Amino acid sequence: MSHSYQKIRFGSHREQSMKRTPCLIRTPFWRLSQAFAVVALMSVQSLGEVPIAPLESRFQPNSGGISETAEIPDFQKHVSPLLGRLGCNGRACHGSFQGQGGFTLSLFGYDFDADLKALLDKDAGRVTAKDPLASLILTKPVDADMHEGGQRFKKDGWEYWVLRKWIEAGAPKTSAAQKEPIQKLVRLEVSPLEIHFTSKDETKSMHAIAIWEDGSQEDVTSLCRFASNDTSIAKINEKGLVTGGETGDTHVVVSYDNAVVPVSVLRPIGKTGQLQQQITNAKTEIDKLVLMKLDKLGIMPTGDATDSEFFRRLSLDVAGTLPTSDQVRKFLDDPSADKRLKMIETVLDSPGYAAWWTTFLCDMTGNNDDQLKNFSPLPQQSSQHWYQWIYARVAKNVPYDQIVEGIVTAVSREPNESYTEYCEKMTSICGDATGKSFADRSDMMYYWARNNLKTAEEKAISFAYAFCGVRIQCAQCHKHPFDQWSKQDFDQFERLFDGVVATQGNYMPESKEAVEKMISELGIAKSLKGNDLRKKLQEVAKEGKTIPFPELFVRTNKPPQNKSKENDTKGKKQAAAPKKLPTARLLGAQYVDLSTVTDPREPLMEWLRRKDNPYFAKAIVNRIWAHYFQAGIVNPPDDLNLANAPSNAELLDYLANGFVDNHYDLKWLHRTILNSQTYQRSWQTNETNALDRRNFSHALLRRLPAETAYDALRIALSDSEQAKSICNLESERAMTMAGASAQNKGGKNSLSNYALTVFGRSIRESNCDCDKSSDPSLLQTVFIRNDSDVLKAMNDPKHSWLAQVAEEYHLAPPRGDGPAPVPPRMQEKKDVRTVEDLDRDVRKYRKQLEIQSGKEGNEKAIKAIQSSLALSEKRLKELMSSKLDSSKQESSTLPIYSEKMPVKSENGMSDDDATKLVEEAYLRTLSRKPTAIELERSQKAIAIAENPLNGISDVLWALINSKEFILNH
Amino acid sequence: MSIHNYCDGIHRRDFLRVGALSASSFTLANYLKMAEAGHVKEGHATSGIFIDLSGGPSHLDTFDPKPDAPEGIRGDFKTIPTSVAGVHISEQLPKLAKSFDKYVILRGVSHTLAAHKLGSEFVNTGSRPLSSLEYPGYGAVLCKERPVQSDIPPFVAIPNSGQRAGFLGIQYAPMNTGATPQAGKPFNVRGISLGAGVTVEQLDRRQNLLHDLDNTFASLEGRDQLLTGLDRFSDKAYSMLTSERARYAFDVSKESPSFSQQFGTDPFEQSCLLAVRLIESGVRFVSLQVGGWDNHTDIFNNLKTKLLPKFDGGVSALLNGLEQKGLLGSTSVMVTGEFGRTPKINTRATLGGRDHYPRCMFMLMAGGKIRGGQVIGQSDDTAAGPANDAISPSDVAASFYHNLGIDPKQEFETETGRPITLVRDGNIIPQLFA
Repeated sequence: MSHSYQKIRFGSHREQSMKRTPCLIRTPFWRLSQAFAVVALMSVQSLGEVPIAPLESRFQPNSGGISETAEIPDFQKHVSPLLGRLGCNGRACHGSFQGQGGFTLSLFGYDFDADLKALLDKDAGRVTAKDPLASLILTKPVDADMHEGGQRFKKDGWEYWVLRKWIEAGAPKTSAAQKEPIQKLVRLEVSPLEIHFTSKDETKSMHAIAIWEDGSQEDVTSLCRFASNDTSIAKINEKGLVTGGETGDTHVVVSYDNAVVPVSVLRPIGKTGQLQQQITNAKTEIDKLVLMKLDKLGIMPTGDATDSEFFRRLSLDVAGTLPTSDQVRKFLDDPSADKRLKMIETVLDSPGYAAWWTTFLCDMTGNNDDQLKNFSPLPQQSSQHWYQWIYARVAKNVPYDQIVEGIVTAVSREPNESYTEYCEKMTSICGDATGKSFADRSDMMYYWARNNLKTAEEKAISFAYAFCGVRIQCAQCHKHPFDQWSKQDFDQFERLFDGVVATQGNYMPESKEAVEKMISELGIAKSLKGNDLRKKLQEVAKEGKTIPFPELFVRTNKPPQNKSKENDTKGKKQAAAPKKLPTARLLGAQYVDLSTVTDPREPLMEWLRRKDNPYFAKAIVNRIWAHYFQAGIVNPPDDLNLANAPSNAELLDYLANGFVDNHYDLKWLHRTILNSQTYQRSWQTNETNALDRRNFSHALLRRLPAETAYDALRIALSDSEQAKSICNLESERAMTMAGASAQNKGGKNSLSNYALTVFGRSIRESNCDCDKSSDPSLLQTVFIRNDSDVLKAMNDPKHSWLAQVAEEYHLAPPRGDGPAPVPPRMQEKKDVRTVEDLDRDVRKYRKQLEIQSGKEGNEKAIKAIQSSLALSEKRLKELMSSKLDSSKQESSTLPIYSEKMPVKSENGMSDDDATKLVEEAYLRTLSRKPTAIELERSQKAIAIAENPLNGISDVLWALINSKEFILNH
Repeated sequence: MSIHNYCDGIHRRDFLRVGALSASSFTLANYLKMAEAGHVKEGHATSGIFIDLSGGPSHLDTFDPKPDAPEGIRGDFKTIPTSVAGVHISEQLPKLAKSFDKYVILRGVSHTLAAHKLGSEFVNTGSRPLSSLEYPGYGAVLCKERPVQSDIPPFVAIPNSGQRAGFLGIQYAPMNTGATPQAGKPFNVRGISLGAGVTVEQLDRRQNLLHDLDNTFASLEGRDQLLTGLDRFSDKAYSMLTSERARYAFDVSKESPSFSQQFGTDPFEQSCLLAVRLIESGVRFVSLQVGGWDNHTDIFNNLKTKLLPKFDGGVSALLNGLEQKGLLGSTSVMVTGEFGRTPKINTRATLGGRDHYPRCMFMLMAGGKIRGGQVIGQSDDTAAGPANDAISPSDVAASFYHNLGIDPKQEFETETGRPITLVRDGNIIPQLFA
């Protein structure tokens, strides 16, 4: 599928002239990296051009309130941005689709034609050439009473005069000298490029110079829009004055025309320059780049995570799998110095790795079973094929660009495969419910076959989201507020997807005969259509007969009379005779001549692979980074826009370049990240880094993803054998469920579906990483505490760990969905509650009483609490007084743990046994051994229980409900 | 607290992720605080019930009969008068005919989405579905706007719901009972009913132990919103699980026979009883789903024997029951399928049916400030479309929200910071409240 550059032509003379003067090429890449911007700034300044004075001084009225300039303001350069800066085209004002007072401007401007039309509307009186001073755009904004949006400028202000002079000149669209209706802004030069504050309320002014295609330069500071990405760290006012706030770092963003320039603002938290030694000794390049940024901010990083923290984190992050207690023991007991390095390799080779990252890629590419039900006649299989196709490649570590190519440029047929052969093959693949053999196909045709990807614009949005991490959808309707994209950019990008069709009943012209033949040979009536036909096809497919499958191919732009049946293997056709075709353009790059390419997805793929592609490698590298660190270097990770600058541009560049240089080797990327000290840091914080959530100075706590959480619960609650089989993917796993949708009916197991929905598994629906959620919720908490699903797994009489314990220690086995019934408690005998326990009870009951009282219908509950409270208070009083009597009293209420003296507790379990079991419970849930105090408390719980198994189940319950269990840390 | 800029120029407060800590208006902790304070806006109704007739019930054979239409359209059923002179509905709905004073029939409701999923999304959210965004269902919105401070779940779906939390986030998702109650029997609800053999006492003991053991992150306490959130949810879950009230509310067998006898024994009718009990005990929103309405074939037998009797009995008892308990004025009720069905009876099978038909359908509304006993809107002679102005599902949604004291033009922010008007295109139908 290789393509040469000849197929891409430069669409206009403007592009060509840009090519000749490389220093003026404007691509997003330039802006994303500030290092480049510095170079560019110097080179332009060296040309000796002097920017013309700012608009506000040129149009400043004299002491008589009159501006005497002869200059005619330019619509694109001055009037439109001025309206933007004044807020006219904002969402709440005239930028909305229902613009106030019937006056509608394009949201955030840049649709110059439409805006001019709205201004010049003859009946509206906004701009009246005959009587310029009566123009509403002059009379309304100066009058707070008349204008709902309040006074926007004063009658003697320069803004007034800019608009007035423009109207008096006849409100021209362009100045006479200008040929093109829209002039190209080559660059917006912003200074300073980085702001360092040392104290609160320090200020700094931003300046912006526009450099136009003809070389002219103008100070446009007063026409820019300014915004801060974090107003607690830096505020910026409408004049571009930045004021420092709290310590930390963020960006302020300067926008003018279609330029968006972020400027880093930082104020150190602690002393800078402390980390030089650490930087010199940094173990990896990642560590060096992270430490350099931390040093600028005066943040001290946290030290290394413990071995058990590291191992748990690694296994959950890389393989989506909670390690078994045996694996943890083995790792902790391994004395070798390079055991982390070795373990990283082991986990990267584990079956969990392939399944987990397949799920990750299915989320990203949108493997949604609900959206796939209309393409294949056997739609139950489509999601499965999608999953298996990716799984086979992830398992073999096929380079990322090749995986993407198999999706992006997919056609349904293999090279040299006839339509009939294709149908035979697909019928046979669908005969196997696992769908595994679909992985042998070279292309994955389902990405383009989804219901919610029918139109070219939907395809364009999905493509930009999945493979570029760009939210182009904003530009579908209006100029992207934080990026360069205009509506025109979107329209031209969208054209690349026009011909891609994969729908039910979509066949290549030369296949139609074969389809008809097949249908008639199957004895199906020709009149059968839609769902009825599909039902019939499903029936005959079950009998093993070959049925027709729809095709994915690209409709060429060939005139219809020119039907030729060439030896065509992959849906490619010879170039059609040139005809008037819409302009298609790669995102921020070249134009594509649709008349010379057979499949526009090929130049698209080629563009993705180009070394200077600003998105492809960065998007995936950043997403994977965000998976490991809870925050992307660009965050959120699916929003690479100019205003959303990376927190560490050098780090992102290093990883993206390394990834490309290593031929898109995903395991290289994982390995590089996992072996860094940055990844292996502890979650603990110090004074300087406690609030850091974007510079990777410590590990951030994060809730386990839905699939991982569900599987982790099962592993923790299963007996050793079943836990091992779940880990090795020999049992069904949440992360081997192929499809997903808002309905979440991907698997047969409706119970796991409920859990996965509650924990926010991705719905793969709306081109947003936020389709999955890692927020906590009440239902999640209730689920782990009391859901029948969890209780059943915990008390399973055959496969639960509790059953295993019962067998080993000859205890009564757990009973199905609940522990064995207990005899009534004998309070006096078993009460070993300490002063602290009772005190806590008293406080708890008091609080409950507070909550309950004042609500109607709660008399019963209140009474119950009152009596519990009274009892606890009484006991507390008794215990306190007896404590005063004898200092020995307390020690007799606390079971004391001592390794040397195995004691039998009241319910017959020796302390030795209890210790072993508590340790095992900790290892299988929290992947670590209990501390002395935890051991003591857990043993006490076992000792006071009616029978040991109940006690152990209490400990296990408490552990899976702890924050430490549900959080990756 | 970092602020991200998004598509429509609006700042996104990305509360869990970035930057230094500062006061912020919308954080998990603040949400919980508001919830505890019982922050409630003024409005008419304070709780809601949504009955989802999934599959799309025929309007001609229920609330919009056309006895004078030609054969092949009018269907098998005759009409009967209701408690309001001049208004007739299908003879298969005798109980609802009698209690017509309690609800409003909307006729000539119209949209264009003939697929189950899209139609259902439309009527469950009030906004035409978009591929780039999932709108929240009514229940999720109500629970966000009116958090409940109690030991009872705020949003319950019996047994499931087409309403999801959408861009509001999963904390507003419904709790699905997954099953329907049976007459006179205790109803075990997943998550709420304690598992077999688990006692409140044991849960108490476990919670104490959890408290004793769950201290690993003590050093970050108060500094990490995720930890704070988990702690609050833990407390709330505990009070819910140990609450007599929650278990009592879910147990339909605890209802006095004199009240429960008006509900038949069909699971749907029992679900209606459960809905009344839940609303009574403080649940904010109950969504009921009852399927079987996709009658492409054999429509009249299905309606007559399977669907309409339980529907008639369940919904009339629900409305009467709410009134008897003094809850009708504070509960906004809406009943709808995803679309109507074709006026023309198809002849594909011996016993014909009707196909998907979004151009004309009915909806019912009741409770709150809605004045019952009215028909609003009108369909043409063959119920093939609205006779005059169409009522859109968005108009009904706007009215439903209005009845709940929620401004339908209110703006919400999506996860990505995009501002979204709650009901983009709908207008409140004033006659409902006249």
